Amino acid sequence: MNYKPTIIGFLCNWCSYTGADLAGTSRQKYEDKIRIIRVMCSGRIEPTFVLDAFRKGADGILICGCHPGDCHYHEGNYKCLRRFHLLQKYTQQMGIEKERLRLEWISASEGKEFAELVDEMSEKIASLGKCMVKETLDTYR
Amino acid sequence: MEEYRIGVYICWCGTNIAMMVDVEAVVEEIKKLPNVTIAKDYKYMCSDPGQDLIVKDIKEHHLNRIVVAACSPRMHEPTFRKALENAGLNPYFFEMANIREQVSWVHTDRIEATRKAKGLVAGAVKRVVHHKALNKRYVDIHPATLIIGAGVAGMSAALEIADSGQKVHLVEQCNQLGGMVRKVDLNYPYLNSSRQTISQLIKNTEEHPDIQIYTESKIDKISGYIGNFRALLSNHQEQRELEFGNILIATGLKSFDPSIIENYGYKRIPNVITSADFEKMLYSGLIHCENGKEPGNIAIIHCVGSRNENYHPYCSRTCCMTALKYINQISSAAPECNIYDIYADMRAIGKDCEELYASTSKKNVMFLMFDQQHDLPVIKQNGNGKTVSIEFTELLSGESIHIQANMVVLMTAVESQANNKEIAHLAGISTDKNGFFIEKHPKLDPVATTTEGVYIAGTCQSPKDIPDSIVQAKAAAARILATIAKGKVQVEVTTAQVNEDICCGCQCCASVCPYSAISYNEDKKVSEVNEILCKGCGTCASACPSGAIVSKHFTDNQILSQITGVLEMQIETA
Amino acid sequence: MAKENKPKQKIKMAVYWGAACGGCCVSVLDVHEALFTVVEEADLVFWPIALDTKYADLEKMEDQYIDLTLFNGAIRNSENEHIAKLLRKKSKILVAYGACAQLGGIPGLANFSSKKEIFDRVYFESESTENKDKKIPLTTVKLNGYELYLSEFYNDVKTLAQTVDVDYSIPGCPPQTERLLEVFMAIVSGAELPPKGSVLGAHDKPQCDDCKRIKTDNKKIKAFKRPWEIEDDGVTCFLEQGVICMGPATRGGCGNARCVIGNAPCRGCYGPPPGVLDPGAKMLSAIGTIIDSDDPDEIIKIVEQVVDPAGTFYRFSLPASILHRKIIHKEKSTA
Repeated sequence: MNYKPTIIGFLCNWCSYTGADLAGTSRQKYEDKIRIIRVMCSGRIEPTFVLDAFRKGADGILICGCHPGDCHYHEGNYKCLRRFHLLQKYTQQMGIEKERLRLEWISASEGKEFAELVDEMSEKIASLGKCMVKETLDTYR
Repeated sequence: MEEYRIGVYICWCGTNIAMMVDVEAVVEEIKKLPNVTIAKDYKYMCSDPGQDLIVKDIKEHHLNRIVVAACSPRMHEPTFRKALENAGLNPYFFEMANIREQVSWVHTDRIEATRKAKGLVAGAVKRVVHHKALNKRYVDIHPATLIIGAGVAGMSAALEIADSGQKVHLVEQCNQLGGMVRKVDLNYPYLNSSRQTISQLIKNTEEHPDIQIYTESKIDKISGYIGNFRALLSNHQEQRELEFGNILIATGLKSFDPSIIENYGYKRIPNVITSADFEKMLYSGLIHCENGKEPGNIAIIHCVGSRNENYHPYCSRTCCMTALKYINQISSAAPECNIYDIYADMRAIGKDCEELYASTSKKNVMFLMFDQQHDLPVIKQNGNGKTVSIEFTELLSGESIHIQANMVVLMTAVESQANNKEIAHLAGISTDKNGFFIEKHPKLDPVATTTEGVYIAGTCQSPKDIPDSIVQAKAAAARILATIAKGKVQVEVTTAQVNEDICCGCQCCASVCPYSAISYNEDKKVSEVNEILCKGCGTCASACPSGAIVSKHFTDNQILSQITGVLEMQIETA
Repeated sequence: MAKENKPKQKIKMAVYWGAACGGCCVSVLDVHEALFTVVEEADLVFWPIALDTKYADLEKMEDQYIDLTLFNGAIRNSENEHIAKLLRKKSKILVAYGACAQLGGIPGLANFSSKKEIFDRVYFESESTENKDKKIPLTTVKLNGYELYLSEFYNDVKTLAQTVDVDYSIPGCPPQTERLLEVFMAIVSGAELPPKGSVLGAHDKPQCDDCKRIKTDNKKIKAFKRPWEIEDDGVTCFLEQGVICMGPATRGGCGNARCVIGNAPCRGCYGPPPGVLDPGAKMLSAIGTIIDSDDPDEIIKIVEQVVDPAGTFYRFSLPASILHRKIIHKEKSTA
C-alpha cells in the first residue's frame, strides 16, 4: 500500500523529545509524515488532544514518555499510561482501530529506537489506510 | 482584542537545514498565514547577527510574537528568549519549530521535508498567538545546607561550604565519619596512606565550628523547595527539625556480595576472600590464610559482579587499580609470593594510573586474561584443604590455565546503597536502573538533579575514585555557595494555576500532584497550587475534570492550536 | 409617569421540541402557579405540545416576530432541521433548551450506530418485529394517487447549534424550572443580556461546588464500582468510593447536585463548565489519572471495570463531543 499516514507524536520534553532529537543528531532516517508536538511530561497529554488530532485528520497518534521509573516528574508517565488505557477503550468503541493510538516509552538515549518505532507504526497504519474520523464527519453528516 | 504581529524566522543552519528544506518556500507559505507580519530566512539565526535581526525587527515592525524555525528548542530556546528580552518583549512570546533534528537531519525527500517544515512552522505560528506573558519569580535562599553522608565527598563539600562561613548540617547513618575510604589502607596510584588523608579530613570536619554533625541519624522527611527546605531528623533518642536552603546527597555505595556467583565459591571455599576482606588484612598489617600462614600463591580475580549482565552491567571503576595496589602491597610485604592477576580488561584510566600498571607489571606477577562474558574462572577446593585450584581459558593465548593458590582475592563490584530509592523519594529525585541517583544532565550538569536545590556527589551517582568524588563534591559545594551568595534563586515559571472561578474543589489534582504542591483552601472552597513547589509537569491540568487548571505555556488552547497548524498545512498542500 | 400608563408590552414566546422525550416541555409546565406570571409577561405564540398552532401559522409570521424561543430536543430528522431553521428566522432570541438541544442528549447516543444499523435493528432484527416485506420508512410514498411525505431520518443526531445559530443555552435533562423562571424573568425585565453563546440558568462552577458530600485529596481508584456495589455512607464523595460521578466535569445549577442528594452519582446532564471543549474527554482523563496502580497489567484490569466508557462519559454529550459519532467505515456505510 502506498498510503502514507499522518501521525501526530506527543512527546515528553525530557526523555522522548530528546530521544527524537538524538535520532536527528545521529542522522537516523524515518518516515516524514510524523509531526511532533512537545509537552513537558507525558502526564500532560490529555485525551482531548488525541481526539482533537484525530478529528483534524491525523491517521495515528503516538504518545511517548520516559520509561517507567525514569519520569523527570517521578510518575507522570504512569498517569499517562493509566488514562491511555481508558482512552484507548473509548476510541475503540468509537471505531478507531487500536493500532492507531499508541503509547511507547522512549528514553533520551533511544534515537534509533524512536526512528524504528515511527517507521514500524507508519507501516502498520498504512496497512489500515486512512483514519475515517474526519471523513465520517465531513461525508456522512 | 490584542492585535498579533508575528515575526517568523527560518534558519538555514548553514546547509544543515537548507540542504533538505526549501527555506524560501517555507517563508513564502508562512507569509500567507494570518497574523504573520514578516517572515524571513537567514543563514544562522543563533549567531549574533541573527539575534540582532530579531531585536531590530521587533522594534521596527512592532512585533509582539516571534517564531524561529531552526534546531531543537532544547538547544537554543533560551538564546532566542534572551533576544526577545533584549528587545523588551516578554521571553515567553516565543515559539520554536524544530526543523533540523526533526526534519532536515531525519528525512530524505526534499519535497516532503519542506512540507513538514511548513507544517511545524504553521503549528508554531498558531500556537504563539495564545502565549501569555510569564514573569520570572525568585525565592530567598536559606543559607544553611544539608549534606547526607559523611564520606570523602560529603566531608569535602561540607568543609568547602563551611570554610566560606556558611552553616552545614552533616548527617551520617554510621557512628563515625569517613565512609568507605575509612576502611582503606593505601590509595592508588601513589600508594600513600588513606588513613592519614581521611583522618585529617575527619578531624577538620569535626572541629569546624560551622559544621553540625549528626551521626547515627537518619532523615525521616524532607519538605519544602529550593531555598526553603525542612527536614525531620532522628536518632535513637530524639527527632528534630532542620531548616536549610540546599541539599547535597553523598551517600556513597556498598560492596557487592559475591557469594551468589557459583563459580567462585565465596563463603563456601576457605581462603576465597573479597577485596574488602583483604583490605582489612592489609589494614591490620598481616596477610595470612585461614590457617594463619602467609600465602605463597595469591590469585586476584577482577570484575567480580561487574560488567556482567547477570550481576551488574557497569564497570565498578576502581577495582583494576585497587588490584594493582594489592600487587604492590603484597610484593613489598611478601616478596616471595607469586601473584596471578586474572583480569578481563585492565582499565587504567586517571592520572598516573597507566604508569602504575606499567610499574606493577615488573613485580612478581603474572597477568592472565579471561572472558568476563562467557567463561568465568572456576574455583575449586583442593583435597589438601590448603590450596584452591582455579581453572579458566586464558584469552590471549587460548590455553587452558590451571592455577594452584593459597588465597584468592575477589575484586568485588560496588553497588548502590539499598536505601537509595527511599532517599530519592524523600528528596524528590530519581534513581537509574542500577539504583544510582540520576544527575540533571549526564554531560552538562552532572552535579545537580532534576529537583532544584538538590545536588549529588561522589559514588552515590556512579562508581568513581577518591579524586573524582572530591571534584564532584566541591563542584556541588560551589553551586550551592553560588545560590547562597545570590540570596535568591529563580524558580519554575511554567507552573500550574487554578482558575478559582471554575474550580469546584473536587481535589482530583491534589490526588495526583507528585510534589504535594496542591492544597485545598477550606475558606474559598478551591484547590490552590503552591507555585514554588510546582515543577510544571502539567499532570494536574490533565487530571482536572472541570478544566479549571491552567498548565502555563502548555495550555489546552496552545496545544490544540498547534495541532490545527501542523495538520492544516499537511492537508492543504498534500 | 407615561411609561406606567402604557399597556404592558408582552413578549412573544415559542416552545418547540425536536428529538426529545417531552420532559423539557413538562419542565416549562412545571412553573405551576408561576404560569400566571408567565402569561402576564408573555404571549405564547407557538407551542405544539400545548397549543393548537400549525407549522403554517409559524411560516406566516414575520421574521424575528418571536422574541424568545425555547427549542428543546436534538436534530434527528429533516423535520427537526426544517423547524429549527424556521424558528431561527422567526426568533430574536433562540435558546437551546435542555441537554438534547445543547449537547445532543440521550437521543445523541444513537450516534454510536449508523442509520442503517438502527433501521436494521428496528425494522428487521428486533425480536418483536414481523416485517416479511422488508419495509422501511421512506420519505415519499404514493398511496391512492396521493403523494405522502415523511421526514427523513438522518444518519446523525446533531445539536441545535450544529444546525442553526444559537443565542443561548439552558442546560439540563430537563432544565430545572426555577432556573428557567430566573432566566425568563431576566429577559422580560429588559435587563442587559449576557454575551451571545452564554449558558444561562446554570453556574460556572461544577456540581461539586454545590454537592454536600465530603471531598478530599484521597482520590485513588483501585476498583470501579457500580452504585449498587458500594455500601454508601451518604457522606463520602462518590469518586472516592470508586463510583464514576460526572459532577466535577458538569456545571452546577440543578439544585445542590440533585442526583447526588438522591444518592446517585451525577450523570452530566448539565453539560461542560465554561472553557471545556469535551467534558467526556476531561472526565475520562481525570478518572484515568486517579487509577491507583503503576502496574501495567493491573491498570488494564482496573480499566476493564469501566464497562462502557463512551456511554458513561458521553451520556449526554456525544454529538457535541470532539468525535461527534462513531466512525463509519466506507464498506459498512449506507451513506
